Amino acid sequence: MTVEAARRGGEALGDSALRPDGVLKVTGEFAYSSDLWADDMVWGVTLRSPHPRARITGIDVSEALAVPGVHAVLTHEDVPGEKFYGLEHHDQPVLAIDQVRYQGEPVALVAADHPETARRARDRIRVGYEVLEPLTDARRAALDPSYPKVHGDRSNVVRHQPIRVGDMAHARRVAEVVVRGEYEVGMQDQAFLGPESGLAVPAEDGGVDLFVATQWLHVDQEQIAPCLGLPTGRVRLTLAGVGGAFGAREDLSMQIHACLLALRTGRPVKIVYGREESFFGHVHRHPARLRYEHGATRDGRLVYVDAEIVLDGGAYASSTSAVVGNAASLGVGPYEVPNVRLDAYGVYTNNPPCGAMRGFGAVQACFAYESQMDKVAEACGLDPVEVRIRNAVAEGSRLATGQVIDMPAPLAAMLEDARAFPAPPPTGTADVRDLPGGVSNTTHGEGVRRGVGYAVGIKNICYSEGFDDHSTARVRLETVGGEPAALVHTAAAEVGQGLVTLQAQIARTELGVRQVTVAPADTGVGSAGSSSASRQSYMTGGAVRAACEAVRERVIELAEERLGRSLPGASLHDGRVVAADGLAVASLAEVLAGRAVEETREFRHRRTTALDPLTGQGDSHVQFAFCVHRAVVDVDVELGLVKVVELAAVQDVGRILNPLALEGQIHGGSAQGLGLALMEEIQVRDGVVRNPSFTDYLIPTILDMPPMRTRILENADPHAPYGLRGAGEPPTLSSTPAIVAAVRDATGRPLTRIPVRPEHISCG
Amino acid sequence: MRPLEYRRAEDPRRAVTAVAGRPGAMFLGAGTNLVDHLKLGVARPDLLVDVSHLPYDKIEPRPGGGLRIGAAVRNSDLAAHPLVRQHYPVLAQALLSGASPQLRNLATTAGNLLQRTRCPYFQDVTTPCNKREPGTGCSALEGYNREHAVLGASEHCVAVHPSDMAVALTVLDAEVRVLGSGGERTIPITELYRLPGDRPDRDTVLKHGDLITAVDLPGLPMAAHSAYRKVRERASYAFALVSVAAAVQVRDGAITDARVAFGGLAHKPWRAYRAEEALRGVRVSAAPGDTLAEATTAAPIAAGGAASTGENAGGTSTVEDLRAAADAELADARPLAHNAFKIPMARNTFVAVLRGLLREEGATR
Ligand SMILES: Cc1cc2nc3c(=O)[nH]c(=O)nc-3n(C[C@H](O)[C@H](O)[C@H](O)COP(=O)(O)OP(=O)(O)OC[C@H]3O[C@@H](n4cnc5c(N)ncnc54)[C@H](O)[C@@H]3O)c2cc1C
Ligand code: SF4
Repeated sequence: MTVEAARRGGEALGDSALRPDGVLKVTGEFAYSSDLWADDMVWGVTLRSPHPRARITGIDVSEALAVPGVHAVLTHEDVPGEKFYGLEHHDQPVLAIDQVRYQGEPVALVAADHPETARRARDRIRVGYEVLEPLTDARRAALDPSYPKVHGDRSNVVRHQPIRVGDMAHARRVAEVVVRGEYEVGMQDQAFLGPESGLAVPAEDGGVDLFVATQWLHVDQEQIAPCLGLPTGRVRLTLAGVGGAFGAREDLSMQIHACLLALRTGRPVKIVYGREESFFGHVHRHPARLRYEHGATRDGRLVYVDAEIVLDGGAYASSTSAVVGNAASLGVGPYEVPNVRLDAYGVYTNNPPCGAMRGFGAVQACFAYESQMDKVAEACGLDPVEVRIRNAVAEGSRLATGQVIDMPAPLAAMLEDARAFPAPPPTGTADVRDLPGGVSNTTHGEGVRRGVGYAVGIKNICYSEGFDDHSTARVRLETVGGEPAALVHTAAAEVGQGLVTLQAQIARTELGVRQVTVAPADTGVGSAGSSSASRQSYMTGGAVRAACEAVRERVIELAEERLGRSLPGASLHDGRVVAADGLAVASLAEVLAGRAVEETREFRHRRTTALDPLTGQGDSHVQFAFCVHRAVVDVDVELGLVKVVELAAVQDVGRILNPLALEGQIHGGSAQGLGLALMEEIQVRDGVVRNPSFTDYLIPTILDMPPMRTRILENADPHAPYGLRGAGEPPTLSSTPAIVAAVRDATGRPLTRIPVRPEHISCG
Repeated sequence: MRPLEYRRAEDPRRAVTAVAGRPGAMFLGAGTNLVDHLKLGVARPDLLVDVSHLPYDKIEPRPGGGLRIGAAVRNSDLAAHPLVRQHYPVLAQALLSGASPQLRNLATTAGNLLQRTRCPYFQDVTTPCNKREPGTGCSALEGYNREHAVLGASEHCVAVHPSDMAVALTVLDAEVRVLGSGGERTIPITELYRLPGDRPDRDTVLKHGDLITAVDLPGLPMAAHSAYRKVRERASYAFALVSVAAAVQVRDGAITDARVAFGGLAHKPWRAYRAEEALRGVRVSAAPGDTLAEATTAAPIAAGGAASTGENAGGTSTVEDLRAAADAELADARPLAHNAFKIPMARNTFVAVLRGLLREEGATR
């Protein structure tokens, strides 16, 4: 869809309403958190550990303090409140205390009147380290009790979640076909463009106002305040311009640090990470080792899955527990499997901390189970799509956790759709940009072979396992300049996904007004939960709708009072109250008569339950979303280079709320999956990151990402607002295994590790 | 970053004097490499003399044939120059395969030649590195060395030179013009770069204060028939894992002269003299169904090796001769723990480049 078409399309729900920040971003005028400014501000910088594991024998800040222009130098001793924080476990020190557990761990802070002064002073802080051998073997951390511990006496296993279904001994006897595989997923980075940054401003009440790019204002607030020794209400957060998130802003980075410095200096403090620092400033996707065994009948029906998944959580827990929960509960994929023995582990090591990233535990498992499905197909002499269709879940199916899918799950039809896409034509050799190697000019068509691969993924939407997941919206309707206007206020983080646009679309549709303002997100309203787990359209969308409904009820009551009769079934349209018979009975301006109607609502999704710690049984998820990819690749089989010719996706989104924004999510998610398939990896050796720059950490360019074909289905989920299904993550799951399957198809290589490198294809 | 003094050079000789007389002084081109190094602490000069505005921004034909390329000519301008594209396509292709358009718009010819290795340990000042700090050791030897050298390395350093342009210049027998304290001199590009030996801190034979003023290309008819190919993991904007620059001359169905250089394999662009020797006399068969003409028809992948694309059943083929020539050069290659793949990759790239050139040759005859 072109922007022109979108512009014509209107601004109600279902239209391709344009995002307010779009033009600003492409013209460079959008104010990101790194552009924040206060006239009297000072600059904060962070001293980080160069070692992945060391005992701190002493910290001497005197020389740094003596540098002219320096306002403060802080260590852990200066943290007035709680010394530890964390999303799920409070295991991460605000500043390292007596040891460091990963390369880049913050040790001390400096505030100075110029960033360069601050950096020079930082270089004068003397830290004594007794360097220790880093603990980097995740598999030993998971399974070998004699492996040394990363956190004192605490077990290295952050979470072990087993899944046990059926009778494995019997299953092994009846399986006619058995395929095994060991897979490895490298450490992917979210690679957002806007580095961690924010501005903390000390307030007169002794508290602090923090302007920051984040994913969840309230969970930041809840972690920051105790460390500052302040009541929650005195730490107020406002969302600043976010330059991408993808999970990397779920954990705190500079938030507490900037607040500490602001409170100490009495001046606004700005912290902006550089690109290299950013690689150490946020968590990454868990690298994983996965061992799978699938048993099937000769006609390709799955009999059992036996699997072990080890996720390396690095030095601190972050959201490792929840990632393990996803990897376990979704670990056999969207297939009916009568017998399952699966063990998922998330562990501590001295590698970089890992946590949330688009796809969240489901990505790693998807690469392994989809690789296995292709092996099953091959062993049974079946088409890869056919074997998937034979085992695909549908509405009413029971997952490995025992949870029954009580919403449409038209997977078989989606797979058929993917197979039915017309094949892209053979690539011409006239333009090297269409060929493997692109402008590297490596092939002009010789040695190039085409391959096709399919994959499907299953992703949970919203928070799972009994979490009290909710969002809050405040909606106010009043007349402004004679026109009815709505103001929507939530704390939901717009991280680029288009939530601001969607909130306005919902209010416009529910309240029948044209003019809608979405107030900046801040903690002046209740929590909206995180902009993650593909949940905000569902949760904050649901909250905005609920608040709009409450406002609408009040307005209709006011209309009834004014007209002196009841208006059953009335609604709001085009600035008017419309009776059930379709006739407008009053304008909103008349009904409001200068008053404002304001309502706040909390929205909750239906309850979920924890997974049984021994059997992994439980109704742990709210909603399931599916995406199917077909990848077509050309591979230069001599040099090992891959050109993805086309990515085609079929996704069921329940209900399309904004077609343009939705396409963007599917393209973006697929591109991130392409990156994981072919190039993106943080190189970690002995706990040390070897490529912390965008010169050396490769993300796909426009030459690497092919055009996409999409088919979007709308099978409404009866439990969800508008029937919608979260859409942002599912494409990230299936794009990776589809591409790898296509490369296998072209080369016959096993390709058990991602990202796939040239040497895995031809020069190994 | 340390405080430093910045001066814009007004005049070449004074620039040389300024840098030669001060151990902590450096020339600055466009800064696309050096400024990164200032930030990372890899380079710690106390004076930068900006030479990017000196009048070395021209590309001129030389009286006896060939071209003179000013040291301050931007990479984009050099790649786009009609004479370069016509007479030295390998050079234009190498430049265009490097960096990004924005970087090429800035980067200078001299700066490109003297850019430093991408070895991750060289760029990380917290790790030992003999190139950055002589005598501290080489972290890459036992560390992460997937991108490192397989030819000509030493126990002191296994880094590779990152420039694509320099690989092309190496097959063109370019000469580098230098102005030093002792006056002007000329250094063949094949002698400009050093192997690491026990002095990996020195990339080149230049002395402190030597200013590169130009690169001279000889008139070289066979260079009109040249090509550059680069293998990397993304379609643009990444350094080479392996690259090959080559020029060939064919007379009466046989190769009479060939020049080949490898990038990504060694501390310097690796001129493949042994391969060149082996190529001379190779017969170029052009019969229908010949390996060169039909190389696109894919053959099955040989287990554990590269595709056997282009092999005709039985008998020797040109492709086999090409492979043998590559192997002659790569016989001394010594892989490290993570880069053994570079050897077959270099061989396959070599074959691909020469096959492409020979096929074009066949088509033009
Ligand atoms: C993201 C990125 C990707 C890149 N990808 C590639 C790639 O794929 N292929 C590739 O080949 N290159 C690549 N490069 C490197 C790029 O080509 C170099 O940075 C550039 O050519 C350097 O030129 P410059 O003028 O900026 O040099 P500077 O950075 O200014 O200088 C480099 C060195 O040359 C010295 N110097 C400069 N001028 C002179 C002179 N006249 N006489 C003597 N010494 C001098 C300086 O003192 C310094 O030591 C990449 C760079 C970046 C940042
Ligand atoms: S290979 Fe060379 S540049 Fe790299 S660490 Fe060793 S000495 Fe330094």
